[in-house]
Amino acid sequence: MTITVIPETFSFVSFDADSIRRIAGELAIELGLEDHAISIEVDETTPLARTTVAIDPHGSGEISIRADSGAFEDTRRPRHQSETATKTSLGRVLLRARDRLTGGFGQAPADDDLPLPRTAAWETYSIGRLERLGVPVNRQRWLYNFRNRHGFSDSGDTAFDRLWRSDNLTWDELGAISDEALAGARTGGPKSSGLSSAG
Amino acid sequence: MRKFFPVEELARDERFSSVNMKERFGDPRLPTSSDGSRSTFRLTPSRRDASDGARALMHGIFVGEIQALEGAGRTCFDFETENLGRTPGARTDEMAVPFALKLDMARQCWDEARHVEISVKLSDWMGTEIGQYAENTVLFEAACSSDPVLRLAGVNRALEGLAIDVFTTMKEFGDMAGDPYLEFCEDWMLADEVTHVKMGSDWLRKVTEKDPERRKNALEFQGIVDKLFSYGGTRSESQESPIGLARRFRELAGFSHDEVDSINELSLQALNERKVAVAQMRDADAFARASTPHSAPHSAQE
Repeated sequence: MTITVIPETFSFVSFDADSIRRIAGELAIELGLEDHAISIEVDETTPLARTTVAIDPHGSGEISIRADSGAFEDTRRPRHQSETATKTSLGRVLLRARDRLTGGFGQAPADDDLPLPRTAAWETYSIGRLERLGVPVNRQRWLYNFRNRHGFSDSGDTAFDRLWRSDNLTWDELGAISDEALAGARTGGPKSSGLSSAG
Repeated sequence: MRKFFPVEELARDERFSSVNMKERFGDPRLPTSSDGSRSTFRLTPSRRDASDGARALMHGIFVGEIQALEGAGRTCFDFETENLGRTPGARTDEMAVPFALKLDMARQCWDEARHVEISVKLSDWMGTEIGQYAENTVLFEAACSSDPVLRLAGVNRALEGLAIDVFTTMKEFGDMAGDPYLEFCEDWMLADEVTHVKMGSDWLRKVTEKDPERRKNALEFQGIVDKLFSYGGTRSESQESPIGLARRFRELAGFSHDEVDSINELSLQALNERKVAVAQMRDADAFARASTPHSAPHSAQE
């Protein structure tokens, strides 16, 4: 499998291209994407954490990933790379790529055109699967992200659970769950339970 | 017990890591999208990274509250109490402070401790672990001055003033996102911060009533801290800044209209200086890259 990382050496951050390549390779094998060439372009000039993925429209099947440096960064040690963050960020986009490649997601807009609630729903679906692959994730972080996009409601939390536990959704099914959560937040009340009582 | 505690020795367990101002400003990255499409950086739910941005800011508030608690506690303890146990007419320590000032600092400690607990629960709610982000200890550094009046200016007016801006931004974020707890908690903490700033403004005036030079120095120090805490323009009225300037609440806390104007000017100045500094760092990097032989991206066949 061919994995390209750009840039090869970093000057704004202390990242390691070999480490990024290794993590991407391991994930590609786990996700059954080893037959696809993968290119990863890291924008090290911004600390933002956005990642996007596109599949070569000319049929080569090459997966092109663009990531802001914050996506791979250790928030405890600014400008240093985190193995877990790299794994989580690459895992999310590779799962999105696999969804696009394996069918059922043909109608999904390109990453840049995804509405925010759909992005959050797809993230939830992807992170849930990553957790089952053994990647350490903070479920509450993604629940908070989902709530910010679908409202803070019990019906929204139910939708989140369905997405998190799912394995074989299509784009339409994912959209329907997201729409249900949005509709529930509009018609239902706010959450019935809240902050933990732990000190 | 030791007085005037150094920042390097603040009690933190293994979950925490800290960065100083030099490291923070040494980061040549700017929070701009690679395609330059973003016109505003204000932290609102419409930002694609809104949830993570809010989580990071909430953690910043959490560690800020710990340091504010430590700072107010030190001010209670580090200085003598005016006229306490002295013979009437005896010379008082220049840096001694009225007992009522210490009482206000003790009340502030109580508030900050409550804010720490609220922040921990909010962080939990947002999916953030304690110590997940590096702690910038500059707040406590501003609370280490040997003159209590400088502490009032630097901590109560400049830093607690920044807290007013941050809490207002977070309160608005919670309101827009429909987060039932964030908006509520920030509103309550904001009320306390307005009180802390007001205490600072009142005591600064009172303690320096007969010493215009000391007051002038304190206000100059406040200006320095205000600029430092604009974090290169992180806080200003410009939409390029993630945190806005909460003009109304600042005025409630005793800032005059002109003072708020000048804080805004300082913040914008800091933002522009930061942009120039980053541009220079980037130019230097581009020059270094151009001067070294080009290496093609490496592909690995696995």
